[in-house]
Amino acid sequence: MEGHSITKVVLLACGSFNPITNMHMRMFELARDHLEDTGQYKVVRGIISPVGDAYKKKGLIEACHRLEMTRLATESSDWVMVDSWESLQPEWVETAKVVRHHYEELLASEQNIDDVDTIKYAKKRRIEENHHKDRDDLQLMLLCGADVLESFGIPNMWKQEDIAEIVGRHGLVCITRSNSDPHKFIHQSDLLWKYRKNIHIVREWVTNDISATHVRRSLRRGQSVRYLLADSVIHYIKEHGLYSSESEQKNADVVLAPLQRYTGASSS
Amino acid sequence: MAARRVPLVLLACGSFNPITNQHMRLFELARDHMHSTGQYQVVGGIVSPVSDSYGKQGLVLAKHRVAMAELALQSSNWVTVDEWESQQPDWTETVVTMRYHYRRILKEYERSVGMHNNSNLSPQLKLLCGADFLDTFKIPGLWRDDHVEELVGHFGLVCVSRGELQPERAVHESDLLSYRRHNIFHVREWVKNETSATEVRRALRRGLSVKYLLPDSVIEYIHQHNLYTEDSEMRNKSAVLRPLVKQAQEP
Repeated sequence: MEGHSITKVVLLACGSFNPITNMHMRMFELARDHLEDTGQYKVVRGIISPVGDAYKKKGLIEACHRLEMTRLATESSDWVMVDSWESLQPEWVETAKVVRHHYEELLASEQNIDDVDTIKYAKKRRIEENHHKDRDDLQLMLLCGADVLESFGIPNMWKQEDIAEIVGRHGLVCITRSNSDPHKFIHQSDLLWKYRKNIHIVREWVTNDISATHVRRSLRRGQSVRYLLADSVIHYIKEHGLYSSESEQKNADVVLAPLQRYTGASSS
Repeated sequence: MAARRVPLVLLACGSFNPITNQHMRLFELARDHMHSTGQYQVVGGIVSPVSDSYGKQGLVLAKHRVAMAELALQSSNWVTVDEWESQQPDWTETVVTMRYHYRRILKEYERSVGMHNNSNLSPQLKLLCGADFLDTFKIPGLWRDDHVEELVGHFGLVCVSRGELQPERAVHESDLLSYRRHNIFHVREWVKNETSATEVRRALRRGLSVKYLLPDSVIEYIHQHNLYTEDSEMRNKSAVLRPLVKQAQEP
């Protein structure tokens, strides 16, 4: 048994997906290509986890619609799927908790497949390193854009221990464009720098800047969004009359859930 | 009483090597824009892939490029692909292609509305293009002056750019284009989308994913026929672009 073993990876993307666009789907493709190109990883699954309504972001429409649109968008993918757990929670759930939840689920399902195998190298290492239940050959990584990475720096947006858990215990795959410099951002943060080996920066050479904000704007103005999102998603939006000036005003005067939760709390 | 709108057809000429979502976006953006002027009613769109004799590097056979465009446009109810240009024995000047389609459109239109009805506005055909297209007018030997005049003066351009001011500048820097600027419609695409056929071919050569950049049916076709390899990109590598040769020979 020579050489390195390949780590199986599941990519998890959290976000509003309001609505899901081709750009969101591209992120998964780019991330998979990048990780597998290193020769160290095999990406086996992609999970899209739309945020719950309690996030209170301006213009966020009901989770049931966002879930269904995501399901439609992933229909043509054989490895990316939507998950409703986060959106069904009554309160807003910190990303670290979502990661934790999916990682536990992953381990549990692998456990069932992976029966008794006393000689497995990974199992030996597990016992040695006292990483309870963690496996070296299976990782869950958070997939995001550079804006999420940079949001780590926004006061009261993230708990430090949550960031540490995500990049320390799991991993981050960050899709970036030419105008942002994630390496510099990582360099300037002691916490991120400590776990830099778990942060994978994927450069998107071909900018594909289809923001959901822009899509919603176009829809409000009756402009075409064809070829920016899946046809089935566009059809759903039209059918249900989603995304109007009214829907964009939702939560306009409400504070975003994480800011509400952490502001005033003692700095971590 | 609603103002009468000019029926308008948009024609896009190009390699379509391969056709991408970005190409199809051009039509959508152009249609929205021309409608919003209040003067036009876009009634059709035509994708006209260039013939193999164009001699551009990396150009795969026209029959494939046409087939892929057909697949991509299957779900569109107003844009179609036309293979007339690709089937001509030699490379065809854009203006000649436009004349051919305009005659066709006019004939069809006269047939459908009847010769007695004079109150309807005559249909127009305009060339749909990206911002970089305007810069090609500057390349020596690529365009005949009288063709540029006919293209811009008689037919007209709908030029989609990615939010930058380059197309306005290109018009400003050319006396001919400036003179005809009323017939050059600028459509701004605010979504920065650099998806190009060149990038798509690059990704395919390297075995990288192009999903969500082109329709699944086109990706499948490409894999089925093993188009876009290192070899295909080397085609016509040392050839001179046909227009440069053809037009250099003319008096």
